[in-house]
Amino acid sequence: MKDTESLISAHHNYLVNNVLTPGFILGDPSSKDTFYLLADVVLPGESTPRFSARLFDNRGCFLLELDWNRIRRNSGRCPYQSLPGGFRILYDSGDPLLSVRTESFPNGYLTHIQGKLYDQNAKVRMETSYAGIRVYGEAQLSIQVPYQPK
Amino acid sequence: MKKKRNRNSAQGVWIFGDYRNYFQDRVTLQLISKGRDLAQTLETEVAVLVLGEGIHQYAMEYVAHGADVIIAVNDSRLKEYQVETYTTVVAEIVESYQPEILLGGATSFGRELFPRLAKRLNTGLSADCVALEIDPDSGLLIQTTPAFGGEMLADVVTPNHRPQMATVHPGIFKERPHDSSILGRILYPEIDIRPDERIQLVRSRPHRTGKTNLEGADIVVAGGRGMGPKEEFDMLYELAELLGGEVGATRPAIRAGWADEERLLGQTGKTVKPKLLLSLGTSGALQYTAGIQGAETIIAVNRDPNAPIFKMADLALEGDARSIIAALLEELRKRL
Repeated sequence: MKDTESLISAHHNYLVNNVLTPGFILGDPSSKDTFYLLADVVLPGESTPRFSARLFDNRGCFLLELDWNRIRRNSGRCPYQSLPGGFRILYDSGDPLLSVRTESFPNGYLTHIQGKLYDQNAKVRMETSYAGIRVYGEAQLSIQVPYQPK
Repeated sequence: MKKKRNRNSAQGVWIFGDYRNYFQDRVTLQLISKGRDLAQTLETEVAVLVLGEGIHQYAMEYVAHGADVIIAVNDSRLKEYQVETYTTVVAEIVESYQPEILLGGATSFGRELFPRLAKRLNTGLSADCVALEIDPDSGLLIQTTPAFGGEMLADVVTPNHRPQMATVHPGIFKERPHDSSILGRILYPEIDIRPDERIQLVRSRPHRTGKTNLEGADIVVAGGRGMGPKEEFDMLYELAELLGGEVGATRPAIRAGWADEERLLGQTGKTVKPKLLLSLGTSGALQYTAGIQGAETIIAVNRDPNAPIFKMADLALEGDARSIIAALLEELRKRL
C-alpha cells in the first residue's frame, strides 16, 4: 500500500498537500531576489506561526517581502490585515493574496493557509486546496527545527 | 483456506485511536503508554491508527503522549463511524503493514470493531484484558483476561497468527504525561474507501445512557439545575469517570435534557447509598434528598448559602459549582 509520510509535531503543525508538517519551505529563503515562503517551526511555549516570504504576482512582478509576519518591502502596496488567530494580505485590488489562521486545540495548534502564490517566473507555487494548500516546485516539506539562515 | 500470515514479518505495536468519546479516548492514551513498554521489549515502534475526518488534533495528542507513528486516514467518508466500513479499512491497512500487535480499548467501539477485525484478519482476540506482557522466551504477547465468569485469570497467547489482538478495559494502564516537544512521524496510506452501501446513516447523536449502576455505586456525582447548561453539566460525566463513580441528576436537570431519566435521584427516581456523594448545583428539595439520605458522606456545592442541601451535607461549599468542578477536573487530570 502506498503512503505519504511526514513529520508531525505534538505542538504545532501546518497542513500542506493534505499532510501535517511542523514547518516547510518553498523556494530558497537565502536567495536575494527569488520567490520563497517559509512557514517556520513553532516551538512549545509559542502559539504564533512565523511566516517569511518574498512574493510575486501572476506576471512575475515583485509584490512584497514578509519577515516574521511583518511586511518589509511592499512594492505591490498590498494591505495587511490582522485577523483573529492570524492575518491576511491582499493585493492592491483587494483580492486575497495570502491568508493565515491558526486553530487552537486543548493541547496544540494547527495553522491553515490559503492563497495562490506565484514565483518570479509567474509559475504557481502554492494554491488553496481542500483542507489546506497544494505546493509545487522546489520545497522542503518537513523541517524539524526553526530555520537558520546559511 | 485462510492465509496464515508470516509472523516473522510482522512488526510494530499498534493501537486503535478511539477518539470519539473523550472518556474512551483516555484508554487510547493509556494503551500508548503500555504499547511503548511492549514496543521497547520487542525493539519496535508504537503506532496509533486514526480514522475519521478532522482527525489531526487527535493525531497530535497521541504523539504528545508517546506515539512514534500515526497512521492517519483523514476522509469525509469516515466522519461517521460505521462498523463495516471501519472494519474493512482497518483490515486492509493491517494486512498491508502487518503490525505485530493491535490493541484497542474495551469500549463500545472496541467491543464492536475488534471481534469483526479479528474474524476478518483470521487471528485471535482476547477481550477485556487486565494485563499485557511480552513473554521473554517466545516474544509472544501474553494477554491476561478474566475467565469463567471472572473466577480466574487466563494467560492467552496467539502463537501463529498476526496481529496479536487484545482489548483492554479503561483504567488498567496509566497514560504518560503530555509532552509538547515530541516530534513523530505520520503516514497517510492511500486506500480506496468503499462505504458499506447496505447501510445508510441517517443521523447520529451522542447518547449518554447505557447501563448505570447508581444503586450500587460507591461514588455518586449528582448534578442539579446549578450545573447547567448542558455543556457544563457534561463535566460531571468526566468527573464520575475519573472518580470511578456514576452520575445522578435531579428532576430539573433531567427535564432540561442534561441526563437520562435513568439517572434521576429521589422519590420518583433512584435511591442511592454511596460512600461518597457529591451534590453539585442542587438546592436540596425533599423530593431529591429522599433518594440520597443513605449516603455515608455528602459534599454539597451551591452558590446559595441558605440552600437546604447544606443542612444534610457533611461538607458544604458555597460557590459556583461549575467553576469548582472545572478546577477539580483540572487537578484530577494532572494526577492520572
